[in-house]
Amino acid sequence: MSEKYIGKDILKVDVQDKVTGKALYPDDIYFKDMLYLKIKRATYPHAYLRKLDLSKAEKLPGVVRIISAADIPQVKNFGLMIKDQPVLVGIGQKMRYMGDALAIVIAESKEVASKAVKLIEVEVEKLEVISDPLRAMDKNAPLIHQDGNILATHYLEKGDIKMGFAEADLIVEKEYRTSFLDHVPLQVEAGVGIYDKKSGVITLWVATQWLHDTQADIAQSLGLSKEKIRIIQPVIGGAFGKKEDISVHIHLALAAIETKRPVKLIYSREESMIAQSKRHPFIIRAKTGATKEGYLTAWQAFVIGDTGAYASSGPAVVHKGMYHCTGPYNVANVKGVAYTVYTNNTYAGAMRGFGTTQMAFAYESQMDILAHQLGINPAQFRLQNAYEIGSSTPNGQILTHSVGVKETIKEALNMAGWKGEAQ
Amino acid sequence: MEASFGDLKKGQKNCQRTVPCQYFAPQKIEEALEILSKYGKEIKIIAGGTDLLVQYYDRLYEVSAWLDLKNIEELKEIKIDQNQIEIGAMSTHTQLESSADIKRYYPILSQAASDIGSPQIRNRGTIGGNIVNASPAGDLLPALIAYRAQFKLVSHKEESIVSAEDFFLGPKKTILKFEQLLSKIIIPIPEQNTYSSWIKIGKRKALMVATVSLALVLSMAEDNKIIQEVKVCLGSVASTPFEIMEIREKMIGRQFKQLDFNELGQLVEDRISPIDDIRGTKGYRQEVTKNIMINALEKIQETWGQSQND
Amino acid sequence: MTKLKIELMVNRKKRKIEITPSTRLIDLLRDDLQLTGTKEGCGKGECGACTVIMNGELVASCLVLAPQADGAVITTIEGLGSSDHLDPIQEAFIESGAVQCGFCTPGMILAARRLLEENPHPDEEEIKRGISGNLCRCTGYQKIIEAIKLSIARLSKSDSGKAK
Repeated sequence: MSEKYIGKDILKVDVQDKVTGKALYPDDIYFKDMLYLKIKRATYPHAYLRKLDLSKAEKLPGVVRIISAADIPQVKNFGLMIKDQPVLVGIGQKMRYMGDALAIVIAESKEVASKAVKLIEVEVEKLEVISDPLRAMDKNAPLIHQDGNILATHYLEKGDIKMGFAEADLIVEKEYRTSFLDHVPLQVEAGVGIYDKKSGVITLWVATQWLHDTQADIAQSLGLSKEKIRIIQPVIGGAFGKKEDISVHIHLALAAIETKRPVKLIYSREESMIAQSKRHPFIIRAKTGATKEGYLTAWQAFVIGDTGAYASSGPAVVHKGMYHCTGPYNVANVKGVAYTVYTNNTYAGAMRGFGTTQMAFAYESQMDILAHQLGINPAQFRLQNAYEIGSSTPNGQILTHSVGVKETIKEALNMAGWKGEAQ
Repeated sequence: MEASFGDLKKGQKNCQRTVPCQYFAPQKIEEALEILSKYGKEIKIIAGGTDLLVQYYDRLYEVSAWLDLKNIEELKEIKIDQNQIEIGAMSTHTQLESSADIKRYYPILSQAASDIGSPQIRNRGTIGGNIVNASPAGDLLPALIAYRAQFKLVSHKEESIVSAEDFFLGPKKTILKFEQLLSKIIIPIPEQNTYSSWIKIGKRKALMVATVSLALVLSMAEDNKIIQEVKVCLGSVASTPFEIMEIREKMIGRQFKQLDFNELGQLVEDRISPIDDIRGTKGYRQEVTKNIMINALEKIQETWGQSQND
Repeated sequence: MTKLKIELMVNRKKRKIEITPSTRLIDLLRDDLQLTGTKEGCGKGECGACTVIMNGELVASCLVLAPQADGAVITTIEGLGSSDHLDPIQEAFIESGAVQCGFCTPGMILAARRLLEENPHPDEEEIKRGISGNLCRCTGYQKIIEAIKLSIARLSKSDSGKAK
């Protein structure tokens, strides 16, 4: 079997459809009598919803139905790791970021749905907007969720950090900050849903990166058995982690059940940016010790990951990032703490690298600064500290195979034609 | 099981847009002006649509009437004579980029056009649209002011000619009245020894709104040594594109080779007070403006130096 | 006047259609003509997924009003080749691994097509400029550029073949 594929060019199964425009992405699916959805979203990043006036929107010709939280008392929160995201924010409940959904408008055309959304009137009681995770961690900061703004704390300890710093001839301590990033898959969140009255099955043509988790999450949120939720994965126009989280899914299911007609929901690009996950911005404080010969002795990392309004994959992303605090370099003594913190920013979740790319900015900067201050060629400094077979990572994993960092550094130097540090 | 859903594309057409709207695409400019005078503010004039349809994304239903200029041939012409060029307002950026006359007499207008958006945008976007849209970052605007362009404004009652620098009032604000159309752009043919330089700074090469842009047009006296006239115009650092007037006294009448580029760069930096926005901070813009002024002078020095050696 | 009758040539077929004037060309193509190979990635002319060739020029169909295309000749991805008979550029995209999620692919192929019509032997910089209005988030562009280079070779071969 392996001989059939290894070393051979194998065409993607759907590549012909993709180059001829035949491939069906969620947005390309159309049914007869299909209705269009548009979501009314939060009007303030942190506020109690006091009034939701649908009357003007409901009167617009072509509007079929508008669903608000009052219509769906049985529906539960959803979320990848923690069920902390409301399907719709109800009166007296809190909106926690600009992407929170307040109402689902169902209309005969996209145009009417867009128009109706703008006719919904919202009154809120504003709360302090927390956009900085350091403010969120203050003792007197208002709580975004009732159990506190620090969602998760993870610790890391290897060797003896005190001894490690005592052995160091040079210690460099710096703070690094990274920003929000959107994955910008070329296709925005989109889907189509149909409800079959006889069987009670909801069929959704939607993109997801966790087919079964998404199915289970929709089912628990709606209070249905998983068998009632059928997800058909059409061709996906890119994801990069952004389509791990629920987006259009539950709203489509609710609208399909409510109207008994096929329904379609496509986010605008802005909506996708505002409402759907991001790469976590990190604040990283790194303290690194090295001997004058250029060997790392100790590494201490303090990491804060801003997970925004909801958990998503936050706790996993942030603590995984911390585990990579030393990068691919041997350090015998490591200590770390990582906080995953709620703010009123757009929630952050999975994105290629899952927390490690943020850390790379910090550890590679530390390596450059140390090399410079020690007067050692930064490539040499990296090579003499790099992992090899038998090395152990900060969380104690012994590397037994596939450790190619030294070869990678050498080849990169070679390809770049790099001779040494510019004077 | 799959078959029970039948053709997944059979439902097209029921997403038809329904909000009523009128649409005019006259052949003659006079007809367009009649329509404008009748509908006034109620009508949206559309040229290339590359700004307008972005502004009206997801709310096209708000437009109750369109006046499309696409059929008015006279607005698409580029005519040149000994004294001036006349560019029809509907000329696209691709036309400006590829016109031999514009490349020859107004090289930085051609370069600025080629720096706009992407092939898709340049094929549709027009010079008239770029002017009327009056973005502080409008790519053609600094070059137009630097080349001393004039705009012809017409209405059903009268016509007038206005200088480019008097046309812009603020972001998206101009002196154009709702019953007026910008019909053509008139630019005098530059003097013999004219040199120019255009620099646009932004985050990428394509589809980029300028963080700072600079157009410098300079003409030498007959001896090709003494500066006779100069205009330095900036984009994206104020509410409108504008000329740094103070540069004139520092340059006009001087020998080009005796200029202190650093001092001139500093002067430009001192005369601007940009804002912080998503494209750049005030401090960044100030520093970069100074640097690109110096770069622009260096570029001119290079071509001028070559002409000195010939 | 709510509806407007327009007539246009799409993929060599004459289409007469009634639309409201505020319909965008992309909606006309996708919703009315079922040509869903034309994709919407941003709706603001930034991504190029909606690229079509209109009157011989590359345009973003999200930034064209349908009535502006009255009388126009339009080529969408569906007009380029079929599964049994692929265009050489489509073949080159497949062979070079230039297709991942595929959402940018129709626009990218049309941009390549237009570029090679205008300039049959572009260098790498000209290729980059030719596709500068089309974003791809998967490939990093390298394989797309390779596919276009492969297309150049294929097309010039088939041209010289025709000449014989």
